[in-house]
Amino acid sequence: MDQLTNVLTAISHPSRRAIIKQLAKGPARFLDVADRFDTSLNATTKHLKLLERAGLIEREKQGREVIISFRPEPLQAVAGWVHPYEQFWNTRLDQFEQHFKPNKRKKEKK
Amino acid sequence: MTKSPAKTIEIKLERTIAAPPLEVHDAWLDPKVPGNPWHEADKLLLTPKVDGFFYWLIQGTAHYGRFTHVERPGRIQHTWVSPNTLGEESMVTVTFDKQGSGTLMTLVHSGLPDNDKGKGHEGGWNYFLGNFTKQYEGASAQR
Repeated sequence: MDQLTNVLTAISHPSRRAIIKQLAKGPARFLDVADRFDTSLNATTKHLKLLERAGLIEREKQGREVIISFRPEPLQAVAGWVHPYEQFWNTRLDQFEQHFKPNKRKKEKK
Repeated sequence: MTKSPAKTIEIKLERTIAAPPLEVHDAWLDPKVPGNPWHEADKLLLTPKVDGFFYWLIQGTAHYGRFTHVERPGRIQHTWVSPNTLGEESMVTVTFDKQGSGTLMTLVHSGLPDNDKGKGHEGGWNYFLGNFTKQYEGASAQR
C-alpha cells in the first residue's frame, strides 16, 4: 500500500485519532497511551502498529521503557490529496472574502 | 491516429461577499486587493478585456492566460496555463450574482489535469501555498 493509503487507514479509527491527539501534546510511554483507552493492551498495540506503518509515530527504547512520539509529516500527504488548485483558490477566496468583512473595512478606512 | 481526450476535473467554489456585485467584480481585477489571482506578484502583466492577456509570475512559477469573457459585473472568464496544468489550457470562470445586499461569487476552474503526472506537482505547490499563507498571515499581523 502507498503512504497515503496507510495514513488514511491510520486516521480512520477514532481510537487512533485519540492516540494522535494525545501524542501531539508530547511523547508518552506505551502504558500511558494504553491506560487512556478501555481496550486491551493487545488492541492498543495493533493501533500503534498501524500508526507506525503510516509513519505517524516512532518508538524509542529508553532503558526498560518504550517512548512513543508523534510525527506529523505524513499528514501532509492527506492535505496534498486534495487537488492543489482547490487549496489555491480556497486560500485566495478566503482572503478576498475577508477583505469585504465590515470590521476589516472600517479599520482600513481609519 | 486520434489523440484520446485527457482526463480532467473541475473545481467549483462559492463565497458570499459582503459588497454589491459591481464592487466585487472590480475588486477581483484589482491587483491591490488581497485574494484575487493578481495580488502578490513578482511580475504582473494584466489586460482584463476580451482577448487581453495576463502574465503572473510568483516565486518562479509563471502563469499565462487570455480573457475570453469580461461582463461587468456578472462574469469574468479566462484561460489559465501553468506548470500545474501541465502546460494545457484550463478555464477559470467567475460569476457574481446579487444576493441580498451582497454577492454570491462562484469560481469554477475546469479542464484541470487529473492524472499522476499532474498530481506530481502537488508537493511543490503545497509548499508554495504554505509559504504564501504564512507570508500573508505575517503581513496581516503587522497591520
